[in-house]
Amino acid sequence: MPQNQAAFCDNQGCVRSENGLIHVWNLKTHRVDTALDGHGRKSVYCVETMGGKERLLSQGRDQRICLWDLAEGRTSVTDSVFTEHVGFCRCSLLKVAQGRWLMAMAARSLEEVQILELPSKTSVCTLKPEVGAKLGMPMCLKLWQLSCGSQPVLLAGYEDGSVVLWNVSMGKVLSQLICHQEPVMSLDFDSEKAKGISGSSEKVLSIWSLNEQQNLQVYKTHELVNAGISDITIRPDKKILATAGWDHRIRIFGWKKLKPLAVLDYHTATVHCVSFSDHSKPQERLLAAGSKDQRISVWSIYAQT
Amino acid sequence: MAVFDTPQAAFGALRPVCVQLTRAQTVENVRQLQAHLAGVSGAALQELQEYVLFPLRFALRVPGPKQERLVQSLVQCISSVLAATCVKKQELLQELFSELCTCLAPPPSSGKAAPLSEELKLAVIQALHTLMHSAYGDVILSLYQPSTLPLLGFAVSLLLTLAEQEKAKQIKISALECLQVLVLQCDCQEHRHLDEDEAQQCGDLFASFLPGISIALSRVIAADIKQGHKPTVSAIRLFYLIVGLVMADKQLARIPKSKEKLPVEHSRISELMIHRGPDWTKSTAEKLSLLLHKVVESSSVHPHWKVRLELVELVHHLLRNCSQSLVDSFSHLLKALVGLVNDENSEVQSRCNKILQEIAEQRIVAQNRALVDVLSENLHSLSTALPRLMNSQDDTGKVSTLSLLLGYLKLLGPKINIVLNSVSHLQRLSKALVQVLELDVTDVKIVEARRSGPPGPLQQSVQKGRRQKKYFRFFTEEKVLQLLQQVCRVLGYYGNLYLLVDHFMGLYNESGLYRKQAAMILNELVTGAAGLGVDFLQAREVPLNVDDLKGSITSILDEYMDQANWYLVTGIDTEESSPEQSVQHSGRSVCAGGASSSVLLLSPEPPVTTRTMNSNIWQICIQLEGVGCFAAVLGKEFQLLLLSALYPVLEKAGDRTLLISETALGTLADICEACGYDSVQCLINENSDYLVNGISLHLRQLAYQARASQVLDTMLRHSDASLLPLIEDVIQDVLSALDQSYNSQASTFLRVLHSVMTALVQWFGMPSAEEHQTDKGQSGTRSQGQQEVTMTSQEVERFFLDYVSQKQIAEGDLPDLEEEEADEVPLAKPEPNSDMEGEAPMPSHAQVARDVMERCIHLLSDGSLRVRLKVLDVLELCVTVLHPHGNHLLPMAHRVWPALVTRLIGDDPLAVLRAFKVLCTLAQTCGDFLRQRFSKDVLPKLTSSLLSQAPVSARAGPVYSHTLAFKLQLAVLQGLGSLCERLDMGESDLNKVADACLIYLSAKQPVKLQEAAQSVFLHLMHVDPDSTWLLLNEVCCPEGYEPPHASLHPVKLSGMGRPRNEFTDNVLLLLQRLQQQEGTGPGTSTQEASPS
Repeated sequence: MPQNQAAFCDNQGCVRSENGLIHVWNLKTHRVDTALDGHGRKSVYCVETMGGKERLLSQGRDQRICLWDLAEGRTSVTDSVFTEHVGFCRCSLLKVAQGRWLMAMAARSLEEVQILELPSKTSVCTLKPEVGAKLGMPMCLKLWQLSCGSQPVLLAGYEDGSVVLWNVSMGKVLSQLICHQEPVMSLDFDSEKAKGISGSSEKVLSIWSLNEQQNLQVYKTHELVNAGISDITIRPDKKILATAGWDHRIRIFGWKKLKPLAVLDYHTATVHCVSFSDHSKPQERLLAAGSKDQRISVWSIYAQT
Repeated sequence: MAVFDTPQAAFGALRPVCVQLTRAQTVENVRQLQAHLAGVSGAALQELQEYVLFPLRFALRVPGPKQERLVQSLVQCISSVLAATCVKKQELLQELFSELCTCLAPPPSSGKAAPLSEELKLAVIQALHTLMHSAYGDVILSLYQPSTLPLLGFAVSLLLTLAEQEKAKQIKISALECLQVLVLQCDCQEHRHLDEDEAQQCGDLFASFLPGISIALSRVIAADIKQGHKPTVSAIRLFYLIVGLVMADKQLARIPKSKEKLPVEHSRISELMIHRGPDWTKSTAEKLSLLLHKVVESSSVHPHWKVRLELVELVHHLLRNCSQSLVDSFSHLLKALVGLVNDENSEVQSRCNKILQEIAEQRIVAQNRALVDVLSENLHSLSTALPRLMNSQDDTGKVSTLSLLLGYLKLLGPKINIVLNSVSHLQRLSKALVQVLELDVTDVKIVEARRSGPPGPLQQSVQKGRRQKKYFRFFTEEKVLQLLQQVCRVLGYYGNLYLLVDHFMGLYNESGLYRKQAAMILNELVTGAAGLGVDFLQAREVPLNVDDLKGSITSILDEYMDQANWYLVTGIDTEESSPEQSVQHSGRSVCAGGASSSVLLLSPEPPVTTRTMNSNIWQICIQLEGVGCFAAVLGKEFQLLLLSALYPVLEKAGDRTLLISETALGTLADICEACGYDSVQCLINENSDYLVNGISLHLRQLAYQARASQVLDTMLRHSDASLLPLIEDVIQDVLSALDQSYNSQASTFLRVLHSVMTALVQWFGMPSAEEHQTDKGQSGTRSQGQQEVTMTSQEVERFFLDYVSQKQIAEGDLPDLEEEEADEVPLAKPEPNSDMEGEAPMPSHAQVARDVMERCIHLLSDGSLRVRLKVLDVLELCVTVLHPHGNHLLPMAHRVWPALVTRLIGDDPLAVLRAFKVLCTLAQTCGDFLRQRFSKDVLPKLTSSLLSQAPVSARAGPVYSHTLAFKLQLAVLQGLGSLCERLDMGESDLNKVADACLIYLSAKQPVKLQEAAQSVFLHLMHVDPDSTWLLLNEVCCPEGYEPPHASLHPVKLSGMGRPRNEFTDNVLLLLQRLQQQEGTGPGTSTQEASPS
């Protein structure tokens, strides 16, 4: 059984999934606080917090997305969504108002993306590419909005290497850009600079920008030493980004010019995911990376000055 | 004599005597009166009191000189009357008082005391004493009016003179007791208690006498010791009673501002009266302070304990009554009190402690700011003098000085913070403590003492909480250290922990000179702050805040475990380059590479002296002890700190310096106890995730590798098989780290691998070893059994058949036996093994062993002998672990073989010896698998080298035993025998061995080689007794053999009848051993067998 891991940090804990169990780690004691079992021991490949550490969303290979309530030591699944999707595309979550989220997820039919509203689970729309577009399956999703209250927009990376910008409310393609020759493995977008980055199984990182006409343009590409990127995350302060590489390494770049800053060499197998914590003190923010070697590494990136 | 109960009867009886006495005042008459008095009852006498007293007083008052004897008997008689009656009239009392005093008065002309006989003086004093006791209730108070002041003064001065100047002890004591009664402070219970006003009045009155009394008494107290202790004791008591009365805070507080005007007729007397106003109080207190100082000085060192006890009472009394008026004197008084806590007499001690306790409980100090000032001043001066005193005093002196310090602190109690808040006070105190606690770091042994080799037994019997004995520069006495600990703990208990920790951390960082002491003090401070092992007088006001404590501890721990303070140079081993050194070394290389810079801290150091190393060792030990302390203090709370603290402690537990590793083990035991783990093993197992994480992180950095391996080493040595699944990962990490640095770190990692393998052998290896032994045992008994059967012709026949078949097997002709076939398989085609591998998954420990063995193959040809030796050791352990998994062992053995052969043939004798050991183990486990290789690859070379060296060693002198060649010979000879046996060698090989070794049986060879050669033959005897017997007999045959039957040829052995030669002794010895081994039978059997 492949060990699929997702990791992220919040102020206190770090969550990691393994063997279908979600472990909530206490970063003070470095021990597991709770282990959550909600996906029938099928591997879990996506874990997200929903505002604070009390609510949690997880997506597993049992084709379900579970919502967890962890407040006051509870460990119960409050709700679940059956996706019917068989791929590895992680869902994307966007908070639109207090207690209301939009969630984008790959749907049952191969090319479709479905947008749900949480917690009501009502379907907002289904994004279906034009007939004959041959985009393939969605590989990665990123829901975002320019500012609170404005139109939510979805960026989706597809199997054929293209990144598509969807207008969620109209269900229309705004722009399409072919960034890679291979499937897009991961993407992240900085709405402030209107710039995004995507990685695939190739040796290249592609940076693209969104102009005022809502058109995606290739801004720059960055050549890598080893091929294969499984995850890309821009730090919430938009200064640096981290990539999880198939070459077992985590790479840190400056976001502005994509200047390589560090190569973190620890894992002995493919790194699956990278995630930044959003601690209030910048010095205490951490980077977590999960890897196939069954380890999660937690890094302190900020220099202590 | 009749007793007269009624006054009438008594009167009848006494009258004639009284009349007689009035007429003629003679001693005889007085005696008669006294005799009659004895027969009168008390009640009756009371009625007749004045009547009886009259003639006596009359006799006293008769003018003109009197006989002393008469006066004495008169006074005695009076006192016996008074003893039985009580005085009810004021006039009578006053008159009697003055009359008695007059008896002692000196002639008006001379200023000196009357030259009276001692008996008389004693009688008068006793009479006065009795008089004061017989005075009835209020009547006595009439004596204490301003108007009687002169009279009283007269009496007081008389008595003082007596007390001071008389030689007779009895008089002195009586005079002092009488004075005590006179100032209304009698010890007996009969007296009416004075109410406040009366006491005030008396105080006013006695104030006039205070200077005289106090000066005189202080002289008495300070007088020659020869006067005995009793007068001194009485004087001290009187001193504090009178001072306590006159200077009582309560009374002084009630004194009006201005002097009361007395009625005019008393004007002269009023001049004598003293107004105890503030001015008077102040000046008197000053003077008293001088006197008290004198008193304290002389009596605190008085040889008699009762005097010292009385001094304690003095301090107590004054402290209770005059703590404000006499505040300036308390610096001396408290010093005396606190100093006497450690008196040699237990009664004084306990009394002192009780009083201190009482003082603390009543918060006398806490409520009196002035006293706090006095105490803090004392503290200040004491701490200033402390280093000097510690340097110059002997141990008892040091003990008393320190108990003084401790006493001050205890007395100050919660007020300590006032002192600590003053920078100069804190600085003085801390400097003094730091200087006093300076360690003696000259002992070289501490640096030299190394932990005995890692494979030793697991040190489970770790003593808890036992501290290493430290040696201090300024003292040796254990008591001194205990006192210093108490001082620190009391400080921690009452003081502001943040302030103290901050201050001492400052000292810790300020200079390397203070570091150890500051750490020691910090440890004790924290212990004290938690209230552990503190001996305090009063509980602190604010209970301890656990979070504060935790905060302090965390910051101290951080500092302790900082790189610069935790990793110090403690040894300069060149051989295995001590971890610290290698860190330094690799630190530099890393820096050159431009990667890590924090390690640089260590590198630019002056050449390390033994002294600094010793000092570093102690520093680490003290810090380790600190960790133990903190654990004990925090209890379960310490669990949270384990994340950061456990790893460094384990690191130190694996240190090569004995002292450090022992201390670290003690710390581990402390942690176990604090966090509720049953054993160190539990601690390690339950927290292995922390450790494993640390190890795997550190293994990635060259500079930390050595330490990380130390931690792993310690984990392994203190844990059991349950640990293995947890550390599998890490072992893989170690191996991969080793793969990346074969050259530089091989020896460090080999240590770890060695401990890994030792642990594996211990955890998993045992059953297989036993199994093997029983195997061998069975086969042994079987062969024995075969031989002990009495020989029949069938058996002889079978023996021949066996012999023939064996011989054929040995020559390789007959490979039909199953056993042989099984052995042959892996040799011929090693492929099937891999199939087998797939079938049964290997247990993880075997996998580890195989992985380690793999590395050993590479390292066997390392350049350094030390590494090679270590590798051979590890290899042997690997083989032992892999033993039950033959399918995996054999291919590995196959791969190891070439490298091992090189070690066996062309290496240093030491390596050869170890290689032999490995070979023997291999032989034990692989058996036949190795036989052929051995006989092909190794044996020829060994035998030929033995043969070629034999003539050299035979000729050599005594120095030869120090040469390499000799050692090699010895090693080979020592190993060969057992090897042959283990490998179950064929006959031709055995013959080769025997031939090569035979020459070493020569008496010309060095004795050691002879012995080694003997051992070879002894082994050969086990394998093949018959051929050995024959071989030996060929050389020398001690006896002839008669054929049992004429049809058989006579036995002819080439050794028969030879003259005695160089081999004879050894061969005979061996034959004898053979004989013993084989019992009785074999001799004949071989004899029959051999001719064929």
